This record gives sequence, C-alpha cells and structure tokens, in this order.
Amino acid sequence: MKFSKERILKSKLTWAVIAEALILLVCFCIRPDFFSISYQPSTGMLYGSLIDIVNRSAEITIIAMGMTLVIALGGTDLSVGALVAVAGALALKLLRWDVNEYPTPGDYSVQPFILVLLVPLVVCLLMGLFNGTLIAKFGMQPIIATLVLMVAGRGIAQITTDGKQFTTLFSPFRFIGQGSFLFLPMPIIITIVVVAGVAIFTRKTAFGMFVESVGVNRSASRVSGLRSDRIILIVYALTGLLSGISGLIYSSRISSCDSNNAGLNYEMDAILAVVIGGTNMSGGKFSLAGTVVGSLIIRTIVTFVYYFGVTAESTMAFKAMIIAVVIVLQSEPVRNMMAKRAKSKQNAVRGGVHA
Amino acid sequence: MKKLLGIALALVLVLGMAANASALTVAFSQIGQESDWRTANTDNVCAAIEAQGWELVYADAQQKQENQVQALRSFITQGVDYILFTGVVSSGWDEVLKEVNEAEIPLLLLDRIPDCVDEIEYAAAFGGDFVEEGRRMVRWLANYLEKEGRGDEEINIVMLEGTTGADAQVGRSEGILAELENYPNLKLVAQQTGNFTRAEGQPVMESFLKSVDKIDVLLAQNDDMALGAIDAIKAAGKVPGKDIIVIGCDSVKAAFDAIVAGDMNATIECTPLYADFVVDAINRLEAGEDLGREIIHPDEGCFDAEGGIEYAEGLVSVKAADVIDERVY
Repeated sequence: MKFSKERILKSKLTWAVIAEALILLVCFCIRPDFFSISYQPSTGMLYGSLIDIVNRSAEITIIAMGMTLVIALGGTDLSVGALVAVAGALALKLLRWDVNEYPTPGDYSVQPFILVLLVPLVVCLLMGLFNGTLIAKFGMQPIIATLVLMVAGRGIAQITTDGKQFTTLFSPFRFIGQGSFLFLPMPIIITIVVVAGVAIFTRKTAFGMFVESVGVNRSASRVSGLRSDRIILIVYALTGLLSGISGLIYSSRISSCDSNNAGLNYEMDAILAVVIGGTNMSGGKFSLAGTVVGSLIIRTIVTFVYYFGVTAESTMAFKAMIIAVVIVLQSEPVRNMMAKRAKSKQNAVRGGVHA
Repeated sequence: MKKLLGIALALVLVLGMAANASALTVAFSQIGQESDWRTANTDNVCAAIEAQGWELVYADAQQKQENQVQALRSFITQGVDYILFTGVVSSGWDEVLKEVNEAEIPLLLLDRIPDCVDEIEYAAAFGGDFVEEGRRMVRWLANYLEKEGRGDEEINIVMLEGTTGADAQVGRSEGILAELENYPNLKLVAQQTGNFTRAEGQPVMESFLKSVDKIDVLLAQNDDMALGAIDAIKAAGKVPGKDIIVIGCDSVKAAFDAIVAGDMNATIECTPLYADFVVDAINRLEAGEDLGREIIHPDEGCFDAEGGIEYAEGLVSVKAADVIDERVY
C-alpha cells in the first residue's frame, strides 16, 4: 500500500481525525485545563474530561462496531436502542426478582450472578438473530425488519419490569459501569476488548472481506460460493449481542433500568458514528477505526456542550451544526478538492525543481 | 347457530347498557408510562375509580398525541360520564376538547393543563404548582444554610434542568430563578438540561464538576437527575450531601433512600397521588356542585434528613426516615 499525501487526504478517516482534533483544539483554546488528567485516589481512576469522553462514548462505540458491519452489508439496524432497553430491563428484573420480599436495593435474588449478565446478552443475541432471519431468509428490507424490534423492544422492556424503574445497589453489577481496572473506568476497558475482538474477527479472518463482498453484491457473492445468508445472520446477531453489552453498561452506570429512555436514539448516533468514520451507507468497504473516531467526535461535541455551558435550548442546534460541518468536510467534492490542491502544489514544487 | 350468536350478542349489549346505567363510567386518557411518577399516578387514579365501583375506561397514549385524540373521540362515541385528561404535549388540543364540550361530557384536567385552557369548558382542573416547587427548593436551601451558619457565605449553585420546554421544567426554572433574586449570596453559576433522567444527569454533573471551580449546591429539577448526579459527585472524589448539597424534586422512594443514606439533602414533593381529588371532585359534580375554573393544587411536603426546616410560609420539612415506609412509588 502506498501512503501518498494524496491518498491520505482522500481518505475519510483522515478528515474524521482532523475534525476531532479541531474540536479538541477549540476546547483547549477556551480552557487549557480541559486536557488535564489527574489521578483520583478515592475511586482509583484517572479523572479528566478526556477520560469522560472516552468513557461516555463506550455505549455508542460498542454498538457502532456491529453497526459498521451491518452498514457494510448495505443494511441498517434500527433496533439497537430498543435492545439496550431490553438488556437493562432484564438485568434489573433478575437482580430484583422478588422486589417485594427483598425491598432493599442492595439485595439480589436470582442466583448465580452470572445469569444476570448472561440472560440479557443471550436474549439480545437472539433478537439480533431474529432481525437477521427476517432479512436473510425472508428477504425483508433491513429498515423494515429491524423496525419491528425497534418498536416492540421497548414494549418488551416495559413488560419485563411492569413499567417500573428498579434500582440496584448490588456492587458486582455496578462495577460494570462504575468500577475501574488499570486506573481506567470499566466501560473503557470493555470497549477496548470489544473493538479489538471485532477487529480481529473481521480482519484476521476472511470474515471482513466476506461482509464487504456481500455488501457490494449479494447475489454475485453467493454465486461465487459465499454463504451470504449465514454472513447476514452472524452480523445481525453480533450487533444484537453488542447492543446487549451496551445495555448492561448503561443500566449499570445508573444502577437502574429505564425502558423509556435507555438507548433512546442510539441507532441514530451509531449510524452517524459509522458514517462519520467513512463507511459508505450503500455497503462495501468499512472502517472500524473510522467508526471509533466517529463515536468519539459525537461524544466530544456533547461534552463540549456540557462543559462550556451552551444553554439547554441551543444544545440540539449546536450539535447539528458541528455534525453538518464534519460531514461536509468529509464529502467527496471537498476531499477531492483538497487532494487535488495538494497534488497540484506537489507538481508545482516538482516543476520548480526541474526548472 | 347464527341466530343463537345473534341472541347472545344482543343479550350482552343489553346487559352492558344496564350495567352502564347503574354505575358511572369514568374514562381516563393518560400519557403512557414515562416514569415511575407517571406509573404511580396511573395506578393510584385507576385503583380509586375501580374502588368506587365506577366503570373505568383507561386509554394509554404511549406518548403519542394522535393516540390521545383518538382515545378522546372514542370516549365521546362510547358516551362516558366523565373524562379525565392529561395531555402529552401542551398544544393542539383545541379541536378535540371542543368536541368533548359539545358532547357535554364533564372534563377533568389532570397534571398538565393544555394551552387552550381559556377557550374550553372544564369541570375541574388539578395539578402541581411547578413554579411554587421551584421556589420551595430555593427557600429550603436558604433556610438550611442559615441553620448551618452559612447564611452569609457566597454559595455557588449548579442546576440540572428538566426536558427543555416541559411544563415542569419551565415552571421550576421560573420559580428557582425568581426566588434566587431574594438571596444575593446564592449564585447560579451553571445550568444545563439533564432531560429528567439519571442517565443524562450523570454526565452533565460530571462536566460541571470539571468546568466549575467551586460547587456548593446542586439543584436538580427532579430526583432521577439528582440520583444520577450523586454517582458523578462520588466519582469526582467529593461527598454528596456534605461537600455538595443535593436538592431534588418529586419525592420518589429512591430519593428517600438516598436521603437516609446521607447522599442527598432534601426533596420537594410533587405528588402523583390524585385519587382523593378525582373521587371527591366527581362526587361533588354528581351532587351538582360547581368547582370553578381555578386550578386546584395538591398539598405537598418537603423531606430531608432532620426535618423542621421551613420551605414555604408556615410549612416545615418532614424527616425522610420517618415516612419512607409509607412511600409506594
């Protein structure tokens, strides 16, 4: 592979990184201590705004890993946000099974504890498989197929907890979202593991290539011997599982479940992260690294808004504005223009030398 | 077979009407299950109506206005005797509520009062006084500081606001800002929306803790945001309830737990228990009484660790530990 200047300037990932750097630079100019990171002895964690950004982006980054593959297949998954709610509701239901018998939030009822984590994850995996089946076996459009669980998922979450918000103080569960390992908040550790896992699974095996191939042309891939159905099933099931992990982190952070608000609009944020990261909505090539940067950009904007006291009323408009700028920066014409300019400059320099 | 079915159907219809004639039919168009508060509100009102032996027609709008408009129209066709109504949004109700008026079904507005309130007829209106709740949060704080001997100290306050534009957010912000004018030593240094949820209150507080140099007080416009923020305060190595005074609103059971544990200082009540009002109002309307157009507010308290702090003229707070077992929501 040749890393010419033109190639780098044409890559969407480069522009995503530049956009993130620019936003952080603005933060730095307004308040240099935005970048300060200190050690917090009482929690055993590193403490600072940058840590917050990575920590709070965990839920979206994890889901967006699956979403990247889904979009590379030329599909989309709208149900991820609802699955976040389902996972949280199931976990809390298991933790507080006999809520009347054990009224203190510190108790938990379903033994052993591993079930509290496994059941939500397995259910989410099966729901992902359900999405995949509708798409691969019944030939439904991904938007329609995943819309089913997007709507039904929240209903299932509501029923699971009778529309109530259970609270838990059970520390092993709270550890997932609030604990720390190697001075870092647990969600960051989980994200690193998930990103590494998905990257190895797709890039160290041929699976990633298969996904891209199915995304470009499903029938051609099948004719050339790829079992595209199975690939679609695996990708949607994986996305379901990742939504479940994200849901456990979410509910562990708030020590509670919230069927209405958990994972609300996550499908949009995840798709946005993937698109900012340079993966094309029409399928084909994908970039996991780009998605991670995309997710960080989204979270940086949110943190910026909180940190610098943008008023509540203008928050939405402000976010939309920055995202619009980032997307325009990445658009084909702008990238081509920049690359062309670099090329002509290079030529001019060369010309100068020759003369 | 067909004939038999026809007879059975007719019988059911006749019996149904007979049952209708003997008991009142009360219809309730509720927003949906958005929070613990709402669930408690729904359960409380529905249980009370059924306990009276009245027939309840309940419609859950699942947070959608069009569902609610449909529900109201179906109440009219069913010819119910009373309609209880809580609107999911504040505008766009003129037409359907006028239809209710034309059908001459007494309308009871609960909790959220629609914008078109001046143009429609209603039998009674009942709901929390959000502006007063905001004022009470500040008054409790001022009196608490006085008691702690910090009455003249410069106090930095951060505020977590509710969902922008929601009645409760608008009212509580107005009350808080208005009351703060009376205490020049209390300074509001940062405010941001936390959308009334724990999950958003937490990262907003996390950022406040880094961007504001000295935070003395957190005013959260509901308990959920306060509970989320408490975890953020702990993660920053500070002690909630001591280093930072935490005041919430709503008085849900989880807030009582936090007060008893010392993590939270006070919560201003916004009661979801509307049953007594609804039953009393319907009984009085049945007796031919006129309840007027005044919006009736419930009697609400304030709960904290010690009790005895004045939060409104002539009203003092109650010790949370004493009443925690009575909380149902």
